[in-house]
Amino acid sequence: MAVYRRSNRTRTLFVVLVLVAITLVTIDARSSGSGLLGRLRGDVHDGLSPVQRATHHALQPLGDFLSGATHYGSLRAENQRLRQQVAAMQATSVSAAAEQQEAERIIAAAHLPFLGAIPNLQARVIDRGSSNFQNTVTIDKGSANGLVVGQPVVAAGVGSAPGGLVGNIGSVSKRTATVDLLTDPSFVVGVTLDPLNTGTAEGIGAGNPLRITVITTNQPPPKVTKGAALVTSGLQGEAYPPGIPVGTVASAVTAPGSQEPTITLKPLVDLAQLDIVTVELWSPQTGS
Amino acid sequence: MTERTKARLRVAALVVAAFLVQATVASDLRVDHVAPDLMLVVAICAGLTGGARQGVLIGFSAGLLADLYLTDTPVGLSALILCMVGYAVGTLRENVLPEGWLLTPVLALVASGAGIVAFVAIGDIVGQTQLVAMGRSGLIRTTVIEAVWSAVLAVPVAWLFARAERGSAGAAALDRGRPDRLGMR
Repeated sequence: MAVYRRSNRTRTLFVVLVLVAITLVTIDARSSGSGLLGRLRGDVHDGLSPVQRATHHALQPLGDFLSGATHYGSLRAENQRLRQQVAAMQATSVSAAAEQQEAERIIAAAHLPFLGAIPNLQARVIDRGSSNFQNTVTIDKGSANGLVVGQPVVAAGVGSAPGGLVGNIGSVSKRTATVDLLTDPSFVVGVTLDPLNTGTAEGIGAGNPLRITVITTNQPPPKVTKGAALVTSGLQGEAYPPGIPVGTVASAVTAPGSQEPTITLKPLVDLAQLDIVTVELWSPQTGS
Repeated sequence: MTERTKARLRVAALVVAAFLVQATVASDLRVDHVAPDLMLVVAICAGLTGGARQGVLIGFSAGLLADLYLTDTPVGLSALILCMVGYAVGTLRENVLPEGWLLTPVLALVASGAGIVAFVAIGDIVGQTQLVAMGRSGLIRTTVIEAVWSAVLAVPVAWLFARAERGSAGAAALDRGRPDRLGMR
């Protein structure tokens, strides 16, 4: 009898807490993240930021090791491919030198001065997001530094790789801000496909390339080649200024009978290794 | 202070410690872009070592803490899922599941997978469509890796829970595969 009563009480407690949780979901969804619960979240992020800053730097090597270990097969294949490439280049040094010069020109052409005169602020990544269903990082600057939701975030490339778009400010507390990365499913940015055509690039999750939807504004349909760098279109009402490199075309396939190609885009910046980012203090309303 | 109160305080401290580890450390420990979810492991271990009542209470509390840290999903969603996971694990452990040393990792693997699927499905129902945007293969990959993370982490976390509830005798009994006889009632 006692066991039955205890089991009954547990069931009642379970039902009550489920109803409380559903009520909280409803209230928060209706207030769109603002209000008391939103402020509470901001305070939690502010309170945790000093610990995050310290632990992130201490544990980054271990995270990099785990990341590298899971890609061991592809790294070995890449290593082998590079060895073969070096051997081929040594055998044909004259043509290799010419190819290198051409590669340097391509890199120089792709390295756009996208920051321009827009004021900006550098910030350090202190957390890479603890959920597997949102692609975000937390940075150590917040509303106290002038950050507001929606500002574009860019980063420099590693070594000779060009930098580019990282994402935008998704939420801000006083001392920290959350950056929605461009691989996040909620992320959309307008890109220029060629002088006549634009499209929108959408994130579809970490580790996946961006998916481009072509918005054909003029004929003929866009012609993009694999490896081409695409930049933000910056059309009126766009959330990003024009000319920020977004990524390189990973694939562009036109299906038989279709006029528009199916395009995927690989981000220019390695989002798994972000450390220092630059926030452009820019808003679409003012353009600055 | 009674022994029971002390045990409850130790368990509460364990939950808060797990939250701090999740919010500061876990995001750096990614395997193929997937990080462990320590709060899910906490809910599972609470149900495993303390039964359905503790699973419900700890699962709800751990979920609420996780909700305060996440930014893209509404407050209450994780609390709802972890409360359900804790209750399910506790009820199964009390009534159905046999004893054995493999119980903890296997239960964590299965319960974690079910919890992630429930999180995505219920999240999608309440309008969080970004949760399903990675597609079926992405969801399966994430679920499998996170479930394996949970299976690995559940062993030390369950041991800590048993120890927090009943001291060294609890941890020793957990090693013998009899966690259901140790929980706080």
